[in-house]
Amino acid sequence: MDNEKKTVLELKDISKIYKSRGSFFGPGGEKVVALNRISLSIYEGEIFGLVGESGSGKTTAGRLIVGLEHPKEGEIYLNGTEITGLKGRALKAYRRKVQMIFQDPYQSLNPQLSIHESVTEPLTIHKMGDGVERLERVMETLKTVGLSPPEEFLYRYPHQLSGGQRQRVAIARAMVLGPQFVVADEPTSMLDASYSAKIFNILLDMRDRFNVTILFITHSLAAARYLCDRIGVIYKGNLMELGPADAVIQNPKHPYSQALIDAIPKFGHCEDIRQYKTFLHTQRKVLEGVGCPFFIRCSRADQTKCRIEMPPLKALEDSHYAACFFAEPGDEKGPESDACLLGI
Amino acid sequence: MALLEVENLSIGYSTKKGFLKAVEGISFSLDEGRSLGFVGESGCGKTTLGMALMGLLPPNGSVTGGKIILEGEDLLEKSEDEMRKIRWKKISMIFQAAMNALNPVKRVHDQIAEAILTHNPNLDKEQALRRVAKLFQLVGLPESRMRDYPHQYSGGMKQRAIIAMALSCNPRLIIADEPTTALDVIVQHQILEETKNLQKELELSIIFISHDISIVADVCDTIGIMYAGQLVEYGTREEVFDTPMHYYTRALISSYPTLTGQRRELLPIPGESPNLIEPPLGCRFCDRCDGSGDSCKIGPPEWVDITPTHRALCGLCLK
Repeated sequence: MDNEKKTVLELKDISKIYKSRGSFFGPGGEKVVALNRISLSIYEGEIFGLVGESGSGKTTAGRLIVGLEHPKEGEIYLNGTEITGLKGRALKAYRRKVQMIFQDPYQSLNPQLSIHESVTEPLTIHKMGDGVERLERVMETLKTVGLSPPEEFLYRYPHQLSGGQRQRVAIARAMVLGPQFVVADEPTSMLDASYSAKIFNILLDMRDRFNVTILFITHSLAAARYLCDRIGVIYKGNLMELGPADAVIQNPKHPYSQALIDAIPKFGHCEDIRQYKTFLHTQRKVLEGVGCPFFIRCSRADQTKCRIEMPPLKALEDSHYAACFFAEPGDEKGPESDACLLGI
Repeated sequence: MALLEVENLSIGYSTKKGFLKAVEGISFSLDEGRSLGFVGESGCGKTTLGMALMGLLPPNGSVTGGKIILEGEDLLEKSEDEMRKIRWKKISMIFQAAMNALNPVKRVHDQIAEAILTHNPNLDKEQALRRVAKLFQLVGLPESRMRDYPHQYSGGMKQRAIIAMALSCNPRLIIADEPTTALDVIVQHQILEETKNLQKELELSIIFISHDISIVADVCDTIGIMYAGQLVEYGTREEVFDTPMHYYTRALISSYPTLTGQRRELLPIPGESPNLIEPPLGCRFCDRCDGSGDSCKIGPPEWVDITPTHRALCGLCLK
């Protein structure tokens, strides 16, 4: 089934390392491995969810894809052409096709530009269309993100809009160029839930209408389940599980994914829901950087094998992969009742 | 007698654009050893409510009516000196992003000891530090980390330190305002579990404030839903969650993605919350409500009792 889908974006053995700066309390120079040889293919027209907690490397992955940073090792391909380490004019041409929506709606818009100016700017930079065409395109895009009638919003400034409205403008800015691929980095984590739902629906609508491919970066499994076709679970720079959204959530194979699901708040009267209980309360004392990154927290780990060997991402069934020596195909029955599990 | 009884509390802020009626006419009561959660989105007044209970409104904020009765005494009639004695000893608060409230240049155990000594001048430093050691055990922090500075702690550890500080003077009531918002999912879960255990162990009363209905439903026996400064629904968590009656509560629950069951469509709530400088005369949720009727705009809605423990501020909810 996989080879019928066209790969739009591919990450191949991508690594990114940061060195910590010195401070009053220490000399710094410590290496932090943000991404550890990640490989990933994203298919045309899909919404791919990259789910992880803070420090997982998910934001770094997004930044590497849009060219805000360069990987230390590995390659990135768009439509089969390598785009790793692009600079200057080539990077600019790339940005026409690959855009980003940031998390903070209060920071991503220039406060001195009106909405009209903000959304026209990408068109000006990429010399698309003339004045009339640009205005038309801006108005169309504002309508697409639900800022209707667009005339009402064109001449307002960011401070006159709510956080949710600003985020819609940010989406409009990303979409006005008609990109092929959009990275949405936690686009709703600073918005109220009732507004987030609107943003999710806009992203779904964009994909359905324009066949744009979306990488949705989030800490919320529930949001990923709603929005995404496939989910990749990332932990300390490593891809731990990958598969169709429903499969990863209802039948998680990696102990870390299972721990994430256990952690979603449940009600009192659903205490009989299956708990995977894979997360150790206290960390194991072990040197990091060797073996499975989840070893220090995994209740199922083998003391010898998992401590020294890095498990590869192995195929289980139906495009479902897990980086765990003990992951087996078949059903791992998870929680069932809808009423008990909400998440944001 | 309930531990805390709030009667018809109204709070506002003086702003350049006028007087902002942030909280209007809130009444509820909390028994000992119970937990009450307030859920609402930004601007609903839940943080203002928490601050008012502690007597910590900012200079432009004022209580314009009502009573806050703690153990039979109205806190609004107390002087600042008297409130200072009550804060931390009878009521403690865990603020939003509280982990940034730790003093970066003091060792963690010193900070907590300081809080203990300020409210217990009869103790000496040694005794205070012994109490800190017990608190560390209680909140699950290793004693070996007592002498560390805050920056050496992870986010979850800092939050536990803040909880330790809130517990340090054995308060009867803790107000926790978004205590886990900045934390990762797994750490959040651990802290919520530990909070529930602590609550049972110490027979604490907790008021939990959050925008996240799932967390509140997990931790609290009773839930109050807030919208535009008002309490719009109130009941046990089963009642509010399983049979939400107010249109806002229903809309709120429908806007959250679920992890299991059918992938139903998420329904955002259209429109924006009302201006609280000149709030509408009728129901404040009216123009975003899909069930509103003619009567909703004319006058303020009235409370409807659904069960002895469950009520909603909506005349149409039972129809």
